[in-house]
Amino acid sequence: MRVPWIAATFFLARSALAVFADEAWNVDYHYALLGLPKQSTSFFHQPNPSSRASLIYTLSEEGVLGAVNPRDGSVVWRQLLLSEALAYNVSFLRAGEGQDTVISGIGSQVAAWSAADGRQAWILDTAGPLQDVEILELSDGRETAGAKDAIALSGGEHPAVVRIDGTSGAIKWQYQWDGVDQPYQVSASTTEVFAILLHKTLLGYVKLKVVSLDPVTGRKTDEHVVSSENELASAETIVSVGANSASPIVAWTNSAHSVLKVNILGTKEISSFNIEAHDSHAVERVEIHAPYHTNSLSHFLVHYETATSHWADVFHIDLKNSKIEKAYSLPKMTGKGAFSTGTSDANVFFTRVTRDQVMTVSSASHGVLGRWAVAGFGVAAGPGESVEPVHAVSEVSIKGTSVSAVRSAVLLSTGDWVLLRDGSPVWNRPEVLASTVSATFAIPAEVQEFVQQLEAEAHGNPISAYIHRVTRHLQDLQKLPAIMASLPQRIVQGFLGTSADGGIASDSFGFHQIIACATRDGRLVALDAGNPDKVLWNQQVADLQLGQTWQPSVSSPEGGIIEINSKASAGVRYNASTGEQLFSILPIDETAGEVALPVKYAIHKGELDATVDTKMAWHFTPMSGERIVSLVPRPVNDPVASIGKVLGDRRVLYKYLDPNLALLVTANDVTKAATFYVLNTISGAILYSNVHSGVDLGSPISSMLSENWFAYSFTAEASANSPKGHQLVAGELFESLVANDRGPLSASANYSSMQTGTEPFTLAQTYQIPEPISHMAVTRTRQGITSRQLLAVLADSSAIVGIPYGVIDPRRPVSRDPTKDEQMEGLVRYSPVLDFDPKWYLNHQREIVGIKDVVTSPALLESTSLVFAYGLDVFGTRLSPSFSFDVLGKDFNKFQMLATVAALAVATFVVAPLVARKQVNARWQFA
Amino acid sequence: MFSLRALALALCVSLATAARLTVSIPASALLPNPATLPPSTHAVLVGPPGVRYDAPIRRDSTFLFPALPAASYLLTLHSRDYAFPPLRIDVSSAPAESPQQQPMHAWQTFRGNEWANKGPSYGAGHGELHVHVQASSPKDFYQSRGGFNLMGFVKSPMILMGIVSAAMIFGMPYVMENMDPETKAEFEEMQSKSPITGSGGAANQIQNFDLAGWMAGKTADTGASAGGGGKKK
Repeated sequence: MRVPWIAATFFLARSALAVFADEAWNVDYHYALLGLPKQSTSFFHQPNPSSRASLIYTLSEEGVLGAVNPRDGSVVWRQLLLSEALAYNVSFLRAGEGQDTVISGIGSQVAAWSAADGRQAWILDTAGPLQDVEILELSDGRETAGAKDAIALSGGEHPAVVRIDGTSGAIKWQYQWDGVDQPYQVSASTTEVFAILLHKTLLGYVKLKVVSLDPVTGRKTDEHVVSSENELASAETIVSVGANSASPIVAWTNSAHSVLKVNILGTKEISSFNIEAHDSHAVERVEIHAPYHTNSLSHFLVHYETATSHWADVFHIDLKNSKIEKAYSLPKMTGKGAFSTGTSDANVFFTRVTRDQVMTVSSASHGVLGRWAVAGFGVAAGPGESVEPVHAVSEVSIKGTSVSAVRSAVLLSTGDWVLLRDGSPVWNRPEVLASTVSATFAIPAEVQEFVQQLEAEAHGNPISAYIHRVTRHLQDLQKLPAIMASLPQRIVQGFLGTSADGGIASDSFGFHQIIACATRDGRLVALDAGNPDKVLWNQQVADLQLGQTWQPSVSSPEGGIIEINSKASAGVRYNASTGEQLFSILPIDETAGEVALPVKYAIHKGELDATVDTKMAWHFTPMSGERIVSLVPRPVNDPVASIGKVLGDRRVLYKYLDPNLALLVTANDVTKAATFYVLNTISGAILYSNVHSGVDLGSPISSMLSENWFAYSFTAEASANSPKGHQLVAGELFESLVANDRGPLSASANYSSMQTGTEPFTLAQTYQIPEPISHMAVTRTRQGITSRQLLAVLADSSAIVGIPYGVIDPRRPVSRDPTKDEQMEGLVRYSPVLDFDPKWYLNHQREIVGIKDVVTSPALLESTSLVFAYGLDVFGTRLSPSFSFDVLGKDFNKFQMLATVAALAVATFVVAPLVARKQVNARWQFA
Repeated sequence: MFSLRALALALCVSLATAARLTVSIPASALLPNPATLPPSTHAVLVGPPGVRYDAPIRRDSTFLFPALPAASYLLTLHSRDYAFPPLRIDVSSAPAESPQQQPMHAWQTFRGNEWANKGPSYGAGHGELHVHVQASSPKDFYQSRGGFNLMGFVKSPMILMGIVSAAMIFGMPYVMENMDPETKAEFEEMQSKSPITGSGGAANQIQNFDLAGWMAGKTADTGASAGGGGKKK
């Protein structure tokens, strides 16, 4: 009887690996993020000239180019242009008016992308790093048909201005100059191309040099210096706008931000304006907002910002005599504000977003065309934090002479990107999560409190425990009316299958865990794994200067608490449910220190050093020419239900279970070899090692260790008689390979890694996989009874696959069919090729991009493991590697059950009189 | 981006000896319109250690590798919705007399087999090669549940038998009642004569089998009224 049962469990386990169609999109959640958008690379644009609906395009700080639907905030398409986000990257994104492409520039590459579907039109490599990219909007009639050309300014050793054909991406002409002038920016009017160069003077000051070029031939027509000798100490105070406006300008301030100087490119006159101080604070930032269309009015807005307030001036350019005049001012307001430019035909509108209102004015006069109060941005913020707009882009709808609606995509100081229609938020995208560097699961504080109450009752004296319990139940009774009121609704929802799993406090399955994410810019953001649509709280926990990094690691040392360790501070704790900071008045747990490992080890100067009480215990020096790639210890919380593997004939193979194991990877860059060691971290003994030669060390090498098995993957180079491609190796450690035998360990009840050096017997098997695995993780459940899945991040497919252990089991019989006993265990014949079944994809049709790490946590249900992946995107799901054996899944049809019961009831009522009559007849009737 | 930088580097280094590879996805029965492929579709060329090129899909559903140095490459196409076969692309060094004419060759390759084991050729060229790769299978991510299906339930033989017997039990009395007397009599006569159900039929005989009598050695030909206990008469 057992045999079919085992086979059945295996079969069930196999079939349960897939994502069920009715659970996909419900159980899992995904934020398709772009990263924080930049003001200069975000805009509204119609994806093709005929469509009226526009999309929001942005090239973010993470180097992701994407289009967002302004209606619901969903990503229409996106392209990852940088695989590694830089803290500060120079990037450009432009779209010509009425063009169906957007042109990006990042690194040294200029590329055009189809605006509607994000496919590449062309790509061009410039010789040096890009300094600027613009679209050439010529009015000479030669550019009517086809795509508009782009001009790019590249730096490096051979700086150049390049005109790029808008259709093919070919270079039309190139202008290079001699000398040491650094390229700064390129601007184009309808008749000329201007290259703005920085000329270093002997005294270390910078002078602005403007070179005028003929747009058709690329020949230099004029060159002049516009700024005087010692005005500019550095390029930082230049606030020029490299626009395609009718008359492009360059503007700069002195270092004290007290004088603004503006030059219309192509002329030599400089207009000078004093910046009036509105209060005691000095002006910290000056920005210019101007329309990006050649046929718009040549008006621009200068935005001044101090530490506490902001205001703006609007200037008009008189094209005939090249004069700049100040037209009007927008009054000072406290807090930060964001200005954006919108156009309608030739008219220009400026939209101002502050923390409490949205306001639109025309560039021509200071009359307010529309003003809407903002009740709130609808985002989570830290306690006492005021949410400020950082920058905005907007689109203005004009009816007649009035503004009918304004849509503004505003980046807030919390890192949320919010769309305001007039004054009300429509959607928000938590783009701050795209820079998550560390994340952890934590049990909510409410649950932890409940656990503590139960513990108090269990360990207190019976009478006080009884009183405690009665009072607790009396307190619970107060919630009864609310529960009764919601009961009918809950029952109906339960039957319709529309019930959202309750709140955090009423979480009986442990799905509502809190995920805390520490981001690169010093924020801590918390999500609820059971209700991931909303950010629970989001606060600034580190005050970082530009260019500073804090390398945080978040963990949850005990339920309800999140702890951050970073370079600057060790062990700052927060309440998991509210984000409140817990001051360090927590009692220090003396026993906790003793439980911790006596041997501590760390990678130090390319070697692995281990210490016991500050004394050197052992150290591991890689062989000469080798460097340590990674070190993966066995997880601290890694429960194992069974110490052995039960074979088909009911004998047992004992697992080599040691909590102090680590998998170390070293690489030799000369011989292209990678070595994998399994180490005992107490004694430093090498338990297993394997060398692979011909490894592509530029590709990711990922590794993972759990229970008594390990896995790693790498990319191998081909030779004529060996396969080329990506390989996955799985190894399993046993106490002995003889069943029912514990080897040398059988005699001793206890053992210590320090004294006995028992070595495991290791089985390993290699599989060819279709693509590289960039990161590995393993599912975790409460007791470790549920079988495990290896979670592998596939960067090329933008996916995470859950590989069942049975598939990579090293005990799969090689070049023979499995025996009956092996079949009962679920082993199938070894085949060297392991294809990732699409049904193993945890993300199914979602595309999860840029995943750097995966964290897992057990739920209260033994069957279920929570998974959370972060990097650029944020993705999470629940996994049941051995089928959901302890909970009724969606396949349990409540309607069917009720219908069956009802049908039986009806049948009973109908048949009962028939039977009664028949019985009576049987007694009384003869014949 | 590492691959892009490598690409840029390769572009600078080998501009003189640049082999150009274009991979296109033609329409096929499986994939009638390649324009529906998502923009995340991309092609990866893995060369010797450290050499890797990554090209996104272009507007005309092609992937372009403009400048490949001489090496042996593994080409993999990644798409959300379809799987594609892996290819081996060989770019050889150009002959001295014509540096632009690098011999290129494409074959299908088989994962897990030695690299020399090549499949059918996908084309060859000099300095430029255009390869067509058809989608091999759509990706099916979802497992459907073995849910409740009324038709399947009704079609199962047990349920069919149940329905038929229920119809007999409930329906026969009505049929009998509604028959005209002549047919009814005829039917009853037929039934009684039938070898199975009739009074002398096998079924009746088995039902009325007198076990005690048989064990006592009673013979069958003592008469029809077996219940009377014939011997005492």
